[in-house]
Amino acid sequence: MTARLHVLLGQGGVGKTTLAAALALALSREGRRVGLLGIDPARRLQGALGLGGCRRKTTAAVLAGAEAPVAGPGELPEEPIAVAGFPGLGVALLRPEQSLRRWVAEQCPDEAARRALVENPFFIALADRMASAADAFAGIRVAEWAERDPALDDLVVDTAPGLHGLSFVARPDQLLAFLRGRLLRWLGHFAWGRKRHGATARRVLGGLADVGGAGVLLRLGEFALLLQEVAATMTARLERARTWLRDGTTGLLLVAAPRPDAAAGVRGLAEALRELGLAPGAVVLNRALPPELADGEAIPDPEGEGEARAFVRYLRGFAALQGRVRAELSALGRVVEIEAAEGLDSLGEARLEALCRLGARMIEALRAGALLAPRRA
Amino acid sequence: MAGKGGAGRSSVAAALGICFAARGDNALVVEWTHPEAIAPWFGKPPAGHQAIELVPRLWAMNYSLDETLREYFVGHLGMRLLHDRVIASRHVRRLIHAAPGIAELLFCGRLFWLAELARDEVGIHYDRIVIDAPATGHGAALFELPSTLAAFDLGGLLRLESTRLARMLADPERTGAVVVALPEELAIEETLELLPRLERALGRAPLGVIVNHSVDRFVSGEESPAWLARLEASRPASSPALRGVHVELLGRKARERDLHHALAGAEAPGLGVLSMDEALLAPEADGARRIVERMARDLDGWLPR
Repeated sequence: MTARLHVLLGQGGVGKTTLAAALALALSREGRRVGLLGIDPARRLQGALGLGGCRRKTTAAVLAGAEAPVAGPGELPEEPIAVAGFPGLGVALLRPEQSLRRWVAEQCPDEAARRALVENPFFIALADRMASAADAFAGIRVAEWAERDPALDDLVVDTAPGLHGLSFVARPDQLLAFLRGRLLRWLGHFAWGRKRHGATARRVLGGLADVGGAGVLLRLGEFALLLQEVAATMTARLERARTWLRDGTTGLLLVAAPRPDAAAGVRGLAEALRELGLAPGAVVLNRALPPELADGEAIPDPEGEGEARAFVRYLRGFAALQGRVRAELSALGRVVEIEAAEGLDSLGEARLEALCRLGARMIEALRAGALLAPRRA
Repeated sequence: MAGKGGAGRSSVAAALGICFAARGDNALVVEWTHPEAIAPWFGKPPAGHQAIELVPRLWAMNYSLDETLREYFVGHLGMRLLHDRVIASRHVRRLIHAAPGIAELLFCGRLFWLAELARDEVGIHYDRIVIDAPATGHGAALFELPSTLAAFDLGGLLRLESTRLARMLADPERTGAVVVALPEELAIEETLELLPRLERALGRAPLGVIVNHSVDRFVSGEESPAWLARLEASRPASSPALRGVHVELLGRKARERDLHHALAGAEAPGLGVLSMDEALLAPEADGARRIVERMARDLDGWLPR
């Protein structure tokens, strides 16, 4: 892999998606070739880019000039699309069902096998339904992106909230172990009706059949068998994703916000990363108050109205909370503060520019702390 | 409790548990998260998979997949041999952890056990179980499980289990969904996407929407109030930052209005919308426990007896 990987992890609501979009836009503005992949199953990325469905239907305006076909309002496609005004930037959302179908179409030459696979209930469940399927395939998708775009400089990845986001880094290991494991082969044999299993295999399969019925095992075995073609490529990509995640240029950013549970969330993520043998990068404290307001007591008591008093109470409460959170976070890693951004409430192009300014501040803060891996030559 | 991560599902779940316990019910709050939030708010160590009592009649636990597997096979089915030889084997555990959806299925199975079977099997009875649903997929995936499972051609015990589970989720007397929302742009959009998805999965509308961190009562909505100009004049260097904070609060008020507006157009959920005041606007800076206790009082006035 020649591109840098930036993975944003953090609890829900801390602004991961906004910061991921901002970072990608700002890196692209520096003239780099950048990918932005949303793997949050909540599909927040389109909203962050101002492509959200309910209040604003600005897709056409924002994406005017897109090279690839543009999806309907509020829909980011599975394959990267361009963003007007940001050449070299491609944005895509992980849609495992579409990726899987595409991989099957690309790698399963036999029409009948392809049909059997996409009609298998496990395939359908895997592809369409399960909330956790998205991150299971993110590693594969990330490796595929770099493979298909060798000139890529940076790939920014947004993740699911909290510990669920870790699936993105943990799943390659889990899936690899599973794809390489004997169970898949056993299940394949089971589907063929071969009776060549050893005693252990028979016990495992018999036990599973007792609980779930033989039908489910047949389907699973058939699925395993049909998946073999696709699985070989998936395995190779997972290997690359695994290596890439452990590469020295990969930045695992732990995003937090001034919230009472911020330190606990970051600590949980950092511990889990270390257990996976990965080094957490910077802690990004998003939506921080600027230094001149961070000392709540320095804010004078307002006169008169209740609204003014409530406002100052809020400021002081926020400043005190931020102080506590900052102290707790700095015990966990290098903290980079990102002040609340202006203009994110705007529309279309203005919003992208506001995001880009936010991203530039983020890059600057990370570089100042030597927390952004140097560019590759 | 469904809703976006960071919306405060855990706080609302804990508050609902407090409210039920105060009304005399035995209430259990189930988290599926790391790190566990609720028990530490009450000065207790993390509960882990075994529920602990936080205050009289209020219990908390944090779901663990491996523990659930063990309990299900050993405790519930009495299949220790199967568990130790098969389920706990390296290969099967890999399958269970890697296969999407299995953890959700077992989570629901565990909830069914707690709701329906725990009294007979181990003598524990909860009148109310409050679930802090995982943020992934907003928790809607949990309610979609029955239709997913129907496609799996299940037999044996799993078919029985999934049928019972589907019945529990489908019964409006036993299961209801509450959506926790934030007055922020992305969160409101997600809430409006989540509501119909939950309605499809449940076959009925969620019971209500709770807007957390509401500033509606405190913020008039005036764009450039005189008091802000005076405050800026007293702190000229902080003027842009002060305006920025004010704009943020105005935005929150507007987003909450958007939500009310959007919901007014939809078929009204059973309980409607409840706004919970932003904790930082409270007269004194409170710890998490005081905050959820105050929320519990708001909920008590909202929920029918």
